[in-house]
Amino acid sequence: MAPSKTKHVNQACVIPGGFTVLSLQFSTDSVAQHKICVKEHRVRAEKTTQRPLDRTLFVLNIPPYCSEGVIKELFSQFGPVQSVELREKPGSFEHSGPKLAKYFTPAQKQGFRVGYIVFQKAISITAVKSHPHDVPLVVSTEQRPVWTGLQKWIHQYKQSFAQPDKLQEAVDTFMQDYDKRKEEEAERQKEQAEEQLEDEEGWVKVTRGKSGTKTRPHSEVSNQKALQKESRKRKRKELMNFYTWQHRNTQKEHIAELRKKFEEDKQRIALLRAQRKFRPY
Amino acid sequence: HLLEGERFSTQVGPLFLCILPCMRMQRILNEGPTRAKRGKPEVVQNGLLRPVTLSRGDLYKPPTADELNQLKEAESLFHCSLLKMQMEELLKEVSLSERRKQLIDSFVQSVTEQLQTVPQTSDMELSDLSWLSGGVKVPFVLVPKAAKGKFHMAPPISVTIIGSYPLGTCTKPGISVDLAVAIPADVLHPKDALNQRYPRKRAIYLAGLAQHLAASPAIGAMRYSCLHGNRLRPILLLSPPGKDSSSFTLRLHACPPPGFFKPSRFHPQRNNIRTDWYTGLGSSQPATSEPPTPHYNSSVLGDMLPSAHLQFLTAVSSQCAAFAEGVALLKVWLRQRELDQGVGCFSGFLGSMLLAYLLSCHRVSNTMTAYQLLRNSLHFLAFNDLTENGITLAKGPDSTPSLAEFHTAFQVVFVDPSGHLNMCADMTACTYKQVQHEASLSLQFWDDPTVDGFHALLMTPKPMIRTSDHVFQLCELVKLQCCCKKLNLLSELMDHSGNYVLTALPFILSLLQRGLGQRVRLLTHSLTPDPEVSILLDAPKHNTQPPLSFGLLLNPEQAASVLERGPPADSPKAEEFRQLWGSRSELRRFQDGDITEAVVWEGETTCQKRLVPRQLITHLLQLHADIPESCVRYIGGMLDDVIKVGREVCSTGEEESLKVVQSYDDLSRKLWTLEGLPLSITSVQGAHPALRYTQVFPPVPLKLDYSFFDREKLSRSLVPHEVKPCPVYITPIQVICHMEGSGKWPHDRVAIRHIKAAFHISLGELLTQHHHYTCQPSPTHLDVWKDGLVFRIQVAYHREPQVLRESVSPEGLLIVRDNAEAQALEMATMQRPLLTSTLHGLQQLHPCFGAVCRLAKRWLGAQLFSDDITEDTADLLVASLFLQPAPFTPPGSPQVGFLRFLHLLSSFDWRNNPLVVNLNSQLTGEHTHNIKNDFIASRESLPVMFMATPNDKKVSIWTKQAPTVQVRTHTCSTFTSMSHPISYLCSTLYTVVMRPPLDPYDVLIHLSPKQVPLLSQAVDPPHATFSRGILAGRVANTGGALPVIDFNPVTHYLAELRDAFGDLALFFYDPYGGTVIAVLWKPKAFTPLPFKTSQMVARRVEVSGEEAHTVPNVEAILEDFRVMGQGLVKSVEPRTERWVV
Repeated sequence: MAPSKTKHVNQACVIPGGFTVLSLQFSTDSVAQHKICVKEHRVRAEKTTQRPLDRTLFVLNIPPYCSEGVIKELFSQFGPVQSVELREKPGSFEHSGPKLAKYFTPAQKQGFRVGYIVFQKAISITAVKSHPHDVPLVVSTEQRPVWTGLQKWIHQYKQSFAQPDKLQEAVDTFMQDYDKRKEEEAERQKEQAEEQLEDEEGWVKVTRGKSGTKTRPHSEVSNQKALQKESRKRKRKELMNFYTWQHRNTQKEHIAELRKKFEEDKQRIALLRAQRKFRPY
Repeated sequence: HLLEGERFSTQVGPLFLCILPCMRMQRILNEGPTRAKRGKPEVVQNGLLRPVTLSRGDLYKPPTADELNQLKEAESLFHCSLLKMQMEELLKEVSLSERRKQLIDSFVQSVTEQLQTVPQTSDMELSDLSWLSGGVKVPFVLVPKAAKGKFHMAPPISVTIIGSYPLGTCTKPGISVDLAVAIPADVLHPKDALNQRYPRKRAIYLAGLAQHLAASPAIGAMRYSCLHGNRLRPILLLSPPGKDSSSFTLRLHACPPPGFFKPSRFHPQRNNIRTDWYTGLGSSQPATSEPPTPHYNSSVLGDMLPSAHLQFLTAVSSQCAAFAEGVALLKVWLRQRELDQGVGCFSGFLGSMLLAYLLSCHRVSNTMTAYQLLRNSLHFLAFNDLTENGITLAKGPDSTPSLAEFHTAFQVVFVDPSGHLNMCADMTACTYKQVQHEASLSLQFWDDPTVDGFHALLMTPKPMIRTSDHVFQLCELVKLQCCCKKLNLLSELMDHSGNYVLTALPFILSLLQRGLGQRVRLLTHSLTPDPEVSILLDAPKHNTQPPLSFGLLLNPEQAASVLERGPPADSPKAEEFRQLWGSRSELRRFQDGDITEAVVWEGETTCQKRLVPRQLITHLLQLHADIPESCVRYIGGMLDDVIKVGREVCSTGEEESLKVVQSYDDLSRKLWTLEGLPLSITSVQGAHPALRYTQVFPPVPLKLDYSFFDREKLSRSLVPHEVKPCPVYITPIQVICHMEGSGKWPHDRVAIRHIKAAFHISLGELLTQHHHYTCQPSPTHLDVWKDGLVFRIQVAYHREPQVLRESVSPEGLLIVRDNAEAQALEMATMQRPLLTSTLHGLQQLHPCFGAVCRLAKRWLGAQLFSDDITEDTADLLVASLFLQPAPFTPPGSPQVGFLRFLHLLSSFDWRNNPLVVNLNSQLTGEHTHNIKNDFIASRESLPVMFMATPNDKKVSIWTKQAPTVQVRTHTCSTFTSMSHPISYLCSTLYTVVMRPPLDPYDVLIHLSPKQVPLLSQAVDPPHATFSRGILAGRVANTGGALPVIDFNPVTHYLAELRDAFGDLALFFYDPYGGTVIAVLWKPKAFTPLPFKTSQMVARRVEVSGEEAHTVPNVEAILEDFRVMGQGLVKSVEPRTERWVV
């Protein structure tokens, strides 16, 4: 008996902020329920195809044992689900780098997550939002049991074995891909450099022989180094003890330093005295 | 002699310089408060040091000439003047206040008046005590009972204050003021010095005084005690009435009128107790053959001289301004070392006399400060052996006994100004050796700039249990009576008037010293404290004394040797050797061809060998002193049980660790010689506690029962079975393998990871090919199954952290930013291997380092703190105990190291001090100084526990993540409460120390023991054991299916819990076989929060009007605890209602 089809007396529970609260429990004989909050996804700035505005449901507080597959199953009762995206924190969609083999995807934190569920039809959203509060969604049923605890860890352990040849294959494909990208990058840079040789008005920048001098590396560290070198050079040229006021200043600084040191000592003693640190027993 | 004087002046010279500036410093200090009033904000806030900020005006105002001089001088003597300031503060703490002095004076006044009104009684027999009324007893053991002579009460002829109070050397705590009450001459008889008549009269006179004073309302509690534990010299203790009763005590000494006895009667060679009187047997011997009674003599003599001593000391101290302060410092120093009280102590009086001696022979000058006086007296003590070359304060060689005569009668000789009394009469040679040892130790660390000398010297208490490596107690002291009989000590017993404990002690000590020989550096014993009894009780018997404790400071190289090699069989010394060891001595032939007498003790493993001194001591005591083994309570390996590994052979893991290290060495060699890798290996380093001997339970080679496991389909590796108990836990031992740098390495983080995976694969292939090990590569590591152990090899590339730090800004600029990922990698591949090898080196220097680490970590685990104080942190903490032991010596047994570890945790002030762990002694004084300054400057942003090492002076990488502030406050309370059970350690249940208190936790998650793979490591051995798929028998070196590695359901469960509920609660668990996870809710998480999409973790919404708040959904969380640990969790027990919001 699917709860969405029968109309209960109880209405959906909507809280200030526009979220609808649904109940979720692990199995039919669980005694306590989690409260998950759902709302249609509505962010104006975001224009991605991954989260179409009218068909995406934003879900809060998804327990750790609900994987993408479980959520997809769970929400299919409101209409066909196109995709599910689970994340640690709400935020805009991010493109990940090059596709990695399963061995190299970093492990995720197994905490509570937020989800973006994309339905195939917009009508499913309203179905979810009108779901009554006291009819809980059930995660693990006899038809589709969800593994937790020992069973899950043993399963994970079995999955962790990597076939050396498969692993090698994954490495090889990635490295080929990587080399290709590197080459493309190098080629692009070369082209750019060639372009720079002659600008729009036909001027050509003349530099010293290419192979001779090494151009300065373009990094923060080297920039800082250069600056330091400059200031050191300047300092060397400066005369420190030339004017009377300079001499006076150094003396002043020295006394200030001594005073500071003395104050530090006094403070240390005062603190220890305050803490009765001088009582030997 | 002249040479010594020279050395003295060169040593003291520079110190001398600092007197003047120090005095000025003092003046400035006193000006301090007035300055602060001028609007400068208070720098010390809630007990935290802050960097000093002075306003520009304050810093740059024109200096006066005076201030300029002061500052300059303070700078040039910085280190010294800080120490000086600290000492001044300390002296203020121990000196008496004016108010208290007034109290004392008025009380002395009233007591003196009372004493003058003692009624006169008529003459009666000495043995007739019927005149004593009101239940007042005589403070003297009247054995033998017979006594001749007459006695009557009479008012004292004089009452004078003597001792430290009039001299001004009296210090807090335990202030006692001495009052000498002179017995009138007509009560005594010139021949009373004989046969205890004078001591008895004195005791009875005291009882008479007590009876008289008991009626007075101006006097509070009255008790009897005896001077420095000498039962022949009873004293009467008076406390003032009312609320001041504990502020000081007045000690009444009864003494003969001046010049009553001739001092020459008490020559140490003379007899004053007749044998026939003492034994009660009639056979009278001629007086010449009677044995001398030096101790009895000096006890009577000691009564006649106090006022002369006071005069002498007053004269000396009036010459030297800092005399009183110097004595006070010396007293503090002695008290911290438990040397200043009890029988044969180095009392404050001796301290004053020592300073007087140094002044009189010009070893110190009159103008020195207290600090210099202390230093020079310690120097004198450290380099002069009074057991061989006694010293005397007497001026001329008149009729007084010679030093040689004193030496024959006493162990330690220090003769008073009169030339008749040895002030160290009761001191044993061992006590003096202990004083010497402490003095030379103090001098060693005093000038070490990396050590806080002041703190170690004067502020740290050194109780015996934390000082000595092994401690043992003699419990039933009655047995010492038989011991005296066995050792034939009648004349000595007579000399000590029946105190068999004191009589036997020197003989037991010398026996043990002979037997232990080179095994110990120092043998110490506790000083029996002065008994204090009510005046209504009989004098305590000798057997009521508390047990005697002995401490051994072991010599690590020799203490654990099982062989005692004696002289060759035909040498004359052989007989002596046989006599010492009795039946244990046997003839043995050694490999070098010698045939000698030898004793062989039992002991195979290190932990058994550590207890060889115990076998030796019980054997010797049984053989020579008739003390049965049941009387000896030996505290040397009390805690070994909790880290025992082997079930058949008792071992605390040293042997197992060695096996692991050997297997690792073999693997490392094989890795080095591998050929066919694209890049060569530049280093192979261990990065696991087992490879530095500090793993609590080192991995043991295992033989697996294959039928117990399931198989993975493709690789045929073993996998756990769902219904069976969790298989045995196999620790992977991390090994870091650095590959050479090369242009071939890509400059991209993901690509590097792929390349490393490729290395793991090829390393695995090569190892299987050449050495037939079972290997399992994975992207992050390579597991190798070898000798029944699993090694986890991780390939590392030294530039990878750098690559992780680099990123390209949108403008195309290469920027380097530190991040957590790079730090973690650097820690795993560089710092941890380095730490492992450094600590491995430390273990080679100190053989018990590993065992202390293991005990400490076992305790942390049992107290559920393992996750907060990580393995590396704990190892470093223990390392600091070995590297900076001041004021102790490096721990010589696991037990003492562990006790000091507990003390460090409970007493170290983490808020204001960095803990500097000087690995390899790379840090100099300047470094430590800089570390401290940097620490204070940025205290707020630094971790709660800050530890600096030579490679990490500013960040404290090991304690960066944990413990956090909350955990620290939680643990802190536990540490302080934990410091108490230590004292029971000697008594009964040591496991109390190990059992965690579960009361403060909110929820307990009970785990099913079947699924806890490390169950057998629990503190309390489990009731049921489970088959975990291992077989007994020899372990194959190579081959076999890959076992289940690093599979512990509890760690998986904890990780999931922390990921999911880390914001709401803290989870505590004992990783060594715990079956309970303790949960503590974070109080902050339970305040209702306004509804926010980012703060909706395991919470439910409560709507009130227009506002929605969220609170943790506790029922659902508890349900989740069950769901997430299905198969592992037995029950979830909520214990408090704190979460009801």
